[in-house]
Amino acid sequence: MTMENKKVKIYSTPTCVWCRATKDFLTEHNVPFEDINVASDAVAREYMFKRTGQMGVPVIEIGNDIIIGFNEERISELLGIS
Amino acid sequence: MIYDTIIAGSGAAGLSAAIYAGRYLMKTLVVRGNFGGETATAGQIWNYPGAPGVDGYDLMKNFEKQAKDSGAEIINGKVTGAKNNSGCFDVEVGPKTYHAKTLIFAQGAERRHLGLAREEELTAKGVHYCVTCDGPLYTGKTVAMVGGGDASVKGILDLAKYVDKLYFIVRADKLTRPEPVNLEELDKLGDKVITLYSTEVKELVGEGKLEKVILSREFDGSRELVIDGLFVEIGAKPDVFVPTSLGVALDKIGYINVDNLMQTNVPGVYAAGDTVNHFGPFKQTITAAALGAVAATSAYNYYKKHGNLCQTHWKVTSQ
Repeated sequence: MTMENKKVKIYSTPTCVWCRATKDFLTEHNVPFEDINVASDAVAREYMFKRTGQMGVPVIEIGNDIIIGFNEERISELLGIS
Repeated sequence: MIYDTIIAGSGAAGLSAAIYAGRYLMKTLVVRGNFGGETATAGQIWNYPGAPGVDGYDLMKNFEKQAKDSGAEIINGKVTGAKNNSGCFDVEVGPKTYHAKTLIFAQGAERRHLGLAREEELTAKGVHYCVTCDGPLYTGKTVAMVGGGDASVKGILDLAKYVDKLYFIVRADKLTRPEPVNLEELDKLGDKVITLYSTEVKELVGEGKLEKVILSREFDGSRELVIDGLFVEIGAKPDVFVPTSLGVALDKIGYINVDNLMQTNVPGVYAAGDTVNHFGPFKQTITAAALGAVAATSAYNYYKKHGNLCQTHWKVTSQ
């Protein structure tokens, strides 16, 4: 269960395995998230690049924090998942 | 608690080993590492028997479910160290230590990089190693693929769904390793793909992100090739740090040396999948799964004969 209530966004592509792993992880822990497909959404892609300075996915935005890649430990820490 | 076997890795080899070990009623712990290994990032797979066109990630999720259903315990993390403690193995996963009677290394291999200056700096800023992850970001763009093996051709077939133009940079003077069916598909892409044989990337150029590469020879009157992204599929190098620290011997090209039963030179230690070179460069989901099954069977046979050594040792040292 999450102890925090932060807005979670995932910048992903449909075929990216780590994006799917991230979404599976959040779903397993009942964390609602917004999934943004940066393959089809050019504005979001540009935002992601400007915000992170890189073009790798997934990028996970939790509140004001940014995580690049599926970093389970960091996601758990920011969301208070035990 | 002493596990009968600890498996490092959760790709096709590790999870197949877990399924078999579970069926042998061995107390089995899988330390996940990078979930799904190479199979998970392979996209659609057409040559895995019984599941034509299956998505690699879905296939590995099924493997993992089957391993759990067979009784294996699966934890996140990576094996960071191991010690041979007179018939018992102490396995470090970050700050935690687990104990086992046998070990199976199936932690796969890491993608090879080009070894060029600025490669690390430009990784994910135009230089990529995973087509299924980052390929769709280059919709409508011009990219290049460095490779020559089957994975690189499969990568091009995937990239072609998104990009406008693609350069295939191949060091050899012809393609001999890709599967014929994939070469046939490559041909069908026509002018969308320009293959540059006998060519290497010598330099990566760009401020903040990749803007162009310098080639080893001229193409179209220049050694500069302007591209939006560069994908690299030049094979992988096995992850052998922990096994070698345990005294496991490697073969001449750096893979874990195993016999036909996936036994290493260290009694009770086995290896499977892309960390071994049993079938040479033919590294497939089906071969990894088969090697994992063999490794688990060998571990089981060892455990039946010698497992009590660890139990005895554990009792003595625990008193």
